[in-house]
Amino acid sequence: MKAVVLAAGKGRRLWPLTENRPKPMLPVANRPILEHIFDALAQTAVSEVLCVVGANRERIQNHVGGTYRDLEISYVVQEPQLGTGHALLQAESLLGESFIALNGDRIIDAELIEAVIDRQRETTEPVMAITRVKEPSRYGVVALDGKTVIGLDEQPLPDRTKSNYINAGVYAFGPEIFAAIRRIDTHGEQALTDALASYIDDRRLEAVRYRGTWLDISKPWDLLTVNSTLLGTERAPKAPGRSTAIDESAVVADGTAIGDDTVIHPQAAVLGGVSLGDNVSVGAGTIVENAILLSDVTLKRGAVVTDCIVGANTTLGPNTTIEGGRADVILEETLHQDVTLGALLGDNVAGGGNVTITPGTIVGNDVTLGSGTYVSRQVDDDSHVQRG
Amino acid sequence: MCGIIGYIGPEETGRIVHQGLKNLEYRGYDSAGIALVDDTITLAKTEGQVDELTAPRADGATAGIGHTRWSTHGEPTETNAHPHTDCTGEVAVVHNGIIENYEALKAELSDTHVFESETDTEVIPHFIETQLEDGVSLLSAVQRTTHQLEGSYAIAVTAAGHEGIVVARRDSPLLLGHGDDATYVGSDATAFIEHTNRVTYLESGDIARITPDEVAIYNDGERIERETETLEWDAEAAGKSGYEHYMLKEIHEQPRALRQAISGRIDEFATSVDLDVALPEEYLRSVDEIQIVACGTSYHAGLYAKGLLEPHADVRVTVHLASEYAFTEDRDPWRTLVVAITQSGETADTLSALRDASRAGARTLALTNTLGSTVTRDADDTVFIRAGPEIGVAATKTFVSQVATAALLTVHLGQVRDTLTSEAATELLESLRDLPGAVQQVLDREATIKRAAETYTDSEAFFYIGRQAGYPVALESALKLKEISYDHAEGFAAGELKHGPLALVTPDTPVIAILTEEAAAEKTIHNVKEVESRGAPVIGVTSDPVTTDVASTFEIPSCGPLEPVVANVALQLFAYHVANEKGRPIDKPRNLAKSVTVE
Repeated sequence: MKAVVLAAGKGRRLWPLTENRPKPMLPVANRPILEHIFDALAQTAVSEVLCVVGANRERIQNHVGGTYRDLEISYVVQEPQLGTGHALLQAESLLGESFIALNGDRIIDAELIEAVIDRQRETTEPVMAITRVKEPSRYGVVALDGKTVIGLDEQPLPDRTKSNYINAGVYAFGPEIFAAIRRIDTHGEQALTDALASYIDDRRLEAVRYRGTWLDISKPWDLLTVNSTLLGTERAPKAPGRSTAIDESAVVADGTAIGDDTVIHPQAAVLGGVSLGDNVSVGAGTIVENAILLSDVTLKRGAVVTDCIVGANTTLGPNTTIEGGRADVILEETLHQDVTLGALLGDNVAGGGNVTITPGTIVGNDVTLGSGTYVSRQVDDDSHVQRG
Repeated sequence: MCGIIGYIGPEETGRIVHQGLKNLEYRGYDSAGIALVDDTITLAKTEGQVDELTAPRADGATAGIGHTRWSTHGEPTETNAHPHTDCTGEVAVVHNGIIENYEALKAELSDTHVFESETDTEVIPHFIETQLEDGVSLLSAVQRTTHQLEGSYAIAVTAAGHEGIVVARRDSPLLLGHGDDATYVGSDATAFIEHTNRVTYLESGDIARITPDEVAIYNDGERIERETETLEWDAEAAGKSGYEHYMLKEIHEQPRALRQAISGRIDEFATSVDLDVALPEEYLRSVDEIQIVACGTSYHAGLYAKGLLEPHADVRVTVHLASEYAFTEDRDPWRTLVVAITQSGETADTLSALRDASRAGARTLALTNTLGSTVTRDADDTVFIRAGPEIGVAATKTFVSQVATAALLTVHLGQVRDTLTSEAATELLESLRDLPGAVQQVLDREATIKRAAETYTDSEAFFYIGRQAGYPVALESALKLKEISYDHAEGFAAGELKHGPLALVTPDTPVIAILTEEAAAEKTIHNVKEVESRGAPVIGVTSDPVTTDVASTFEIPSCGPLEPVVANVALQLFAYHVANEKGRPIDKPRNLAKSVTVE
């Protein structure tokens, strides 16, 4: 059986990290989201995966290559990116009678995929997995009649949600889906959900209810919560990577994920909820808690890094303080109140000593932070922040 | 160059041999052929690439051999393509290498044998035919034949009515792959890596008879055993993973290749390196000259290494084109270390230079990417660059990995010889650690470089200038462009420009200046002004675009003493996009082959 993984989306709400890599390549528990999805697929009847890729597709192709465990992986380029339905159309000629389709940014269990496959086999109708969440209005809310989907509202107003069930982003389709997508054109884009919303007007769409792991990563703080949820589970790496060096006097919490060639210097404290990527250097006396450090990050001595995502190849100078905690954050012109985010720092940020970063700050890629600066809110790519 | 594949086993022979040739195409692609054997030999050959070759149909075939050729003797025609056969058409041979005495053998045989091709190889099947007439086994016939051959060879021989494939090697590489119920032959593991990673490297002088489940190896008439090794390379790493070209895939693999090159070799807390060099420390302390021998890109890595080794290990370093090298009597072999740099470990010119040095009594060290390759056996000691398989003919990731490994070697030698200050050691090791991330940053800016490449596609010629470590990078970057775009491109020491090459500079010849750390950028800027005033467009590659003051720049991240390597990556992308814009066959540039195994 074949599966299509939609991995071409831009992930704008995870700027700046998604400027240099597709969203499915963001790491949680030190492994890209995409790998977690492939792990689930590898335990099912799926043997071939078509990855629909777009901007920065090199990151996926380099990391995954042509096989993953027993899965054969091939790539279909979606260019330009005109929605999830359009993405699926790119793979049409390579797909057989029935196939699985899933979003490249939700972490799920193998059982869900199996259940979807089984239901389609029984009913020969297209199938959508649905799951129950606390805030359904963030997603596509599903109205049900028994086991059939009869309504699909994308991000309705909170008081207009018809159920707590939402579209889980895992489907089994036959060729009928392509005709449904072709009928859709919303300002030049073809969204799969729009196609399904009109499909159910006169056809059956089966629903599979699902209660297992369903982790959606669409905002920066989702990365931190999903990361800490997965650390210590079988989804996290069991042991530190190759050639790591951890000084005897450093404290490293159980369950910390540590990548290849990473070094933890004397007296450093790596507390709970931390993933350190490859070739990370944690300086002497540094304190890191509830944080994701991508590869090649250097923390100089005495830094405090809390509730924070640090982009690849970023250096934070001595005694940098990211105190962490809750703040209001604006993403894509939407205000999110009281979320836990110490900071989100982009790739290749070069920080001097004694920089203070207030909670909720987002710093773009290739930014220079001068010594002693006080950084808050949002800093654009390529900026130089100096003390006034 | 030239690729050999052989298969004996239960599967459809023609398909496996044909796929093997596709895998080997990077070793040569001007003609190709396949022979399948059962009671008869069925042949198919073609001029041109493997795609144009249709595997012959022979349902009963139990064994097959195939060859893809890079011409040395005789033009790339169907007649000259391998396999070659004898007069009866019952013996088929594929061959890599050069038979030096083929003219004499041909003269001897030509009274009674009819030769069809212009190749040196064809004497082999005819000679085997004469031996088989005595009623001996195919193994004995090949054994007797090899006694007559002078020069280098890796051959695979099949004959109608004879079970098994007989293979032999002298100098040219050949290895066997062990499947569950099949045996494979290859000039390198790429030929069959998707079927098995358990291999046996044959050594010079070995002859082997292989059947699906048995391998019998002989050397000097004696039955011997050779070790079976398990390769870590998997078939996937050698695939294209959705990239249009291997070269682009390999350019993008460089952060990973560099991580592998340095992984586990740096002791962070002690600021030292562990390269597992077995050469005794007393000897390394007594060395007063290092001679580097290499060809092509590896030679440029050698020039870069000289700039690292001389100041930090306090030792005289000379860098030699391997084909021009001779160990001269004015050097003391006891105090000379000869370092061979070769990606494949099979480069004939480099191996020959290394042997010359060994004969003179010098100790030798190989820097290579290929486990089990000939250089690892010929040299006294080996350091691997660990770049992973490189299929693109134009070397990219192996250059950066060679330089990174040379930097590690520099720290090792500097510490053994007590000539490296701890400050310099920290600086070099930090620069190494920063390198993968810095290279990734350049890759993230590919779009900018692509746009620049599109602007300059129609230029008449390209000149690259640099000083110090920027000079080998200028040479290497120019080589990349000429290899794959066929444009005229030259690298010059920036100061040399005014002593001649400046005459070539016009408004249609872009000049690319390496303006990085360790490249005396403040001086090269004057040369930039020289060419700008002749109207040439200039692209500066720099981490400091503010002070360099060049109209057009590729900005690279600052990366300490190894920053010129980062500049090279930007210019690999530039070369790729110029060539791609012109529609060149980037992975198979005309007249070139990946590893050149003839002198």
